Amino acid sequence: MTAPAAAPIGRVVATEQRPSTPHQVTFWTAVGAPVGIGTIVRVEGDDRVVLAIVTEAFAWTDVASALDAVVGAEGDPGAAEPPTARTEVWLFAASVLRQLPEEPLQPVPLGAVHLASAADVAQALRMDAYTAGDAPTGIPVGLYAVGDLRAPVQLDADFLLGPEAAHLNVTGVSGLATKTSAILFLLQSLFQRFPRHRGSLAAVCFNVKGPDLCFLDRPAALGPADAATWRDLGLAPAPFADVQYWAPHKPDGVNLNTLRTHPDLQANTTPLVWGLREVLDFAEVVMNRDDIDAKADAFIDFLAERVVGKEFRDDLLRGEPFHVQTFADLEVFFRAIFDSLEALGRGEIWRTHHVATIRKVRNRLGNISTRAKGLVTDDGTASDLPWGAFRDRALHVVDVAGLDPLAQDLVFARTVSKLREHLERRDLGVDHVVVVVDELNKYAPADGPDTHVRRMLLDLAERGRYLGLVLFSAQQFRSQVLRRVVGNAGTAVYGRMDPDELATPGYGTLSPALKAKLATLPKGELMLRHPHFTQPVFARFPRPAVLSGREGVERFPPAPDLPFAQAVARQLRQLGGTAGEATVAELLHGRREEDVRRALAATRRARPDDPVAYFRAALGAAVRPVAGAPRPRVAPVKGGDDPYGL
Amino acid sequence: MHALARTLRRDLAARGLTPASAPAEAAAGRSEEAAIVPAELVEGAELQALPVGTAAPWPDPLAFLDGTQHAELIGYAGAAPLLFAEIGAAVRERRGRRLRTVQAERQWLVVGRPAALDAATLARPGVTTLALHDGEPPHPVRDLVLARRAVDQARGALEVAVAARYRARADGWLVVDGSLAESPAWAADPRMVGVVKSHASLPFEGAALERYLRLPPAHRSSIFAPGSRRLAPVRAWALRLWPWEGRDLFHGLVRVEVAPANGTPAIAAQLSRWLLAERAPLSTPDPRWDRLLYGIRATERFLRHAPRPVGA
Repeated sequence: MTAPAAAPIGRVVATEQRPSTPHQVTFWTAVGAPVGIGTIVRVEGDDRVVLAIVTEAFAWTDVASALDAVVGAEGDPGAAEPPTARTEVWLFAASVLRQLPEEPLQPVPLGAVHLASAADVAQALRMDAYTAGDAPTGIPVGLYAVGDLRAPVQLDADFLLGPEAAHLNVTGVSGLATKTSAILFLLQSLFQRFPRHRGSLAAVCFNVKGPDLCFLDRPAALGPADAATWRDLGLAPAPFADVQYWAPHKPDGVNLNTLRTHPDLQANTTPLVWGLREVLDFAEVVMNRDDIDAKADAFIDFLAERVVGKEFRDDLLRGEPFHVQTFADLEVFFRAIFDSLEALGRGEIWRTHHVATIRKVRNRLGNISTRAKGLVTDDGTASDLPWGAFRDRALHVVDVAGLDPLAQDLVFARTVSKLREHLERRDLGVDHVVVVVDELNKYAPADGPDTHVRRMLLDLAERGRYLGLVLFSAQQFRSQVLRRVVGNAGTAVYGRMDPDELATPGYGTLSPALKAKLATLPKGELMLRHPHFTQPVFARFPRPAVLSGREGVERFPPAPDLPFAQAVARQLRQLGGTAGEATVAELLHGRREEDVRRALAATRRARPDDPVAYFRAALGAAVRPVAGAPRPRVAPVKGGDDPYGL
Repeated sequence: MHALARTLRRDLAARGLTPASAPAEAAAGRSEEAAIVPAELVEGAELQALPVGTAAPWPDPLAFLDGTQHAELIGYAGAAPLLFAEIGAAVRERRGRRLRTVQAERQWLVVGRPAALDAATLARPGVTTLALHDGEPPHPVRDLVLARRAVDQARGALEVAVAARYRARADGWLVVDGSLAESPAWAADPRMVGVVKSHASLPFEGAALERYLRLPPAHRSSIFAPGSRRLAPVRAWALRLWPWEGRDLFHGLVRVEVAPANGTPAIAAQLSRWLLAERAPLSTPDPRWDRLLYGIRATERFLRHAPRPVGA
């Protein structure tokens, strides 16, 4: 047990109407005592120490009724204050965080009440079990700040990343810098303090809104208060050291579809490009529920297992085998099926698949390459996250903000599925991956269609911790998210809350005062639930040490889209090439854009020493159109009156 | 019955009499002492109702003195009763609108005839004995009355002692709940004010008494020298704190006592204005709220609820 604080600030009072219990205590203080909702207090008495957190506050005077107040002021609200201030009572209700000794569990003794010290806070939140010893697993999440006390609040990594519990969910209204900031700060804290003896760790973030997460490798100018908070938490206020950005192309296939296009930021910004193979495995994502019937599913399986990426021979379709690698190849394959059915009059069935099913699958898959143009390429080449080569403490940001929602779903589903596959095989390169998803209510709504993404998130929430796949999610309204997804989050963070949201049944366990505090939480303060904390706890966290999206865009304004040739030249320069724009323009002269994109993708994939030479070779020799001999002209027939020349 | 009472009140009013509906709580004081004790007017030739002006806040610091007593019969030695009593007195000083207890004392007494006290030998730490006069044979009822009177006197003495201690360290105004005649020192203290809520003893009769009892709100009577204060002469006047019409003649009526040196119209008006300001906050739900100053009530409440030593 720690030493008591210097002077009591209150006394426990237990009445028949308001008795002390093992989980609840009431105490009074002097008027103006430094106690408020969320204050942790220490009660001593009867050889016991009880640590509790204030959840409700009351004050009243000895005025018998409102009428007495009116009469006393002779009905004049502007009357001078009475010469004597009425006797006033300040009473606080607190919920017990911990009792020492823990057994037998007894009512809180009628003792003196002290403000908690830093050691008391650690004991109250049971942090002493995981922040000390040979293998600490504490992850600073914020400061418990009351009066002059600034005590770090730490989460248990074993309950944040698994295996004991896992996942984190953040709720709060938009625009008060809570959700994104809290997650980014916690990620920075994790990267700095996640113990090596618990394995390696990486994170994948999906940037779904504007420039929100586009500058996580750039330092922010912190104010003195934030800098002090970082210092008090024992953390270095530095941006993420190892960040890789992934962004799809725009439909032109060469300019990146991201706000992170400033020349100074391009070194670690890589195109995210997928081909047919990558998309086909997740065709289910882009089909609506009506599309997913057994027949379509069977045909997609047929394509995936027998056709795509393999040599497929069907003499009835054409004499030579098909080598379907790209959407373009797939289109040729579909065309051959339809032509064959029409030409041969073989009815509506091809290899047990009805032509309507084949047409539906063709339309849906073709739709992907249209709606996700820039992400999905026709030419079959892919530029993808480094599956199998994830580095410890690396952060991958996938910028899908500019993508069609369907394409966003595709990116999200495939990325998470690949993470899961590799973590199951233990060959991702790291032991744990944190997946950061904002707008969770959009991907896993409580009400709405049961989409592939929703099922995948549910699976991630319920089983991810066994694999080391952890979900850090955020949304404005927790009540609008699938309950099983947020319910599986071992750690919950609440920022400023909307009063209507607080009125929903999910917040029924919070006292009215806690709700009032949540509805007015200042920027940078949050309420935490964590498996070790028996009651919600308030903490202040500093601003993340990275540029915010708004600041980043101001400091690194996005480069304008370049014409095709200049964009190619820029990408070659990023790969280390030295060719000027004139040289590249000459190289591209007369070339089809898809050929250029294919050569550029090959160069990007190969990372050669001389990118320009490689690119030139990949382009191959230019095939010049051959001018045919002019057709002999037929002279008009000269006739008389007959306009038809007959 | 209530309807008939209302009718009768209207009849009284029609005949020029004074209807009343709620006798002022405890305004009668000790009813066995009710009497007219003629006073001597020292302001004007006849008793007048004088407006005191607008209420004004009493400058800091202002202190309030009050005492409490509680007695209960604990037994008999033969026919002689034994009474156990707790008496207390405290001064609470007001600064910046906040009251703070600056003097307090509590005593525990066992009261009875000497023989009864000897027979009981109630030796407890902190408990003292108070012997009654032993001149007449024991009579349980009379002895009990005498014992309670002795407790009264002991409480009065304790108030005097506590006030003396306060006066030794502070020279601000001290408002006493009751008469200044408890002590010659009080009666001579130029910074003490007695506020008397009970009116068992009335200073006038006839038309003067009617004027005295019908003071309008925020009016005081002419200053007089109470006839019952021979040993410790004081000056006094009545002050109406609240309107009385429709309630009772004593509603909101207090008698203010000061040292003779303060018995001037100017000081009486000034003190009356200060006292008017003390009407708020109301002392409700105490039934004497119309005459009980909040500071006095707060002192009384402190004495009733302040922690006692273990075993007390």
